[in-house]
Amino acid sequence: MKNRYLFLFFGLCCTVQACVAPGPQKPPEDLLSLSEAQMKMRSFQTRTFDAKDDNTVLRAVVAALQDLGFIIERANAPMGLVTAGKFAGEGFTGFVEVTVMVRSTGTNQTEVRVNALFNTKPIDDPKIYQNFFTTVERSLFVAR
Amino acid sequence: MFSILAGLLLSGCIRTATPESFFELTPDSAKHKALQTRLFETSNEKELLSASAAVLQDLGFQVEESEMGVGVLRAAKERSARQVGQEILQGVVFLIGLLGRKAIIMPVDLHQQIGATLVTRQAEHDTSRYMVRILFYRKVWKGDGNNGDQYIPPGEQHMEVIDDQEIYQQFFAKLAKGLFLEAQQI
Repeated sequence: MKNRYLFLFFGLCCTVQACVAPGPQKPPEDLLSLSEAQMKMRSFQTRTFDAKDDNTVLRAVVAALQDLGFIIERANAPMGLVTAGKFAGEGFTGFVEVTVMVRSTGTNQTEVRVNALFNTKPIDDPKIYQNFFTTVERSLFVAR
Repeated sequence: MFSILAGLLLSGCIRTATPESFFELTPDSAKHKALQTRLFETSNEKELLSASAAVLQDLGFQVEESEMGVGVLRAAKERSARQVGQEILQGVVFLIGLLGRKAIIMPVDLHQQIGATLVTRQAEHDTSRYMVRILFYRKVWKGDGNNGDQYIPPGEQHMEVIDDQEIYQQFFAKLAKGLFLEAQQI
């Protein structure tokens, strides 16, 4: 009788283990596809400015980031790339990181794309990006 | 009903995680800008950047990043962050802990990295003048500690912007001397 229970228990363990570890999983098919949420995020992370010279816009972005208390970590003028970071400040613990890409759209306009992370998680609040672009706009206006 | 009410009350107490202020200018932004910026009567940005790098080197900094195309320099130097005051406080806290038969070793500041980011930009509506803006900051790492039976691991980090007027004045005075030009406030 005791052996029978032991056998049953062993069988149960095998079943549970089979459920828990089904072997290597296949990556989801939509891993690299652009979801609707990502498309939405891209739209509020991007703003086009009426400025011909992309370097002027890049410098305005750098000045705006400095005004906002960011430390410029890396900059690459030919690529139009700036990476900056700052500690979140009063009321928050953690680190805010931004990567900004500036590129000319061919006409008399320049496109600015920003990605912001808070404690390595992407910030997905459109209002926050709106605040950033307001500061860039002000910085660009001052430079003209 | 009670749980809904309690939920509403609690949600009023907890701060929602929407850090909108990260990209908002504060009333202090203009003050910081004035402290960190000077104008120089030159149209030679390259000379301005190389003179700035030379001053930073004189001050013991290592230049870690430079990009002429946007006028950016980033430099850093490592220093000890030990302070006598903190170590005395650590001793006092330890003695107080002993009275309660508890080994309390308060972590103190051990190491710091002093950083500087410098950006040059042409002055508004004036091609013959350039603005230089420098930001000094420091990152501090704490050592380990003990709170009774609980060990506090080392490495706790904090950062602060240095806003001592004298440090900025000294830097700009050295830069002006290196350029044979006068530094003007904005």
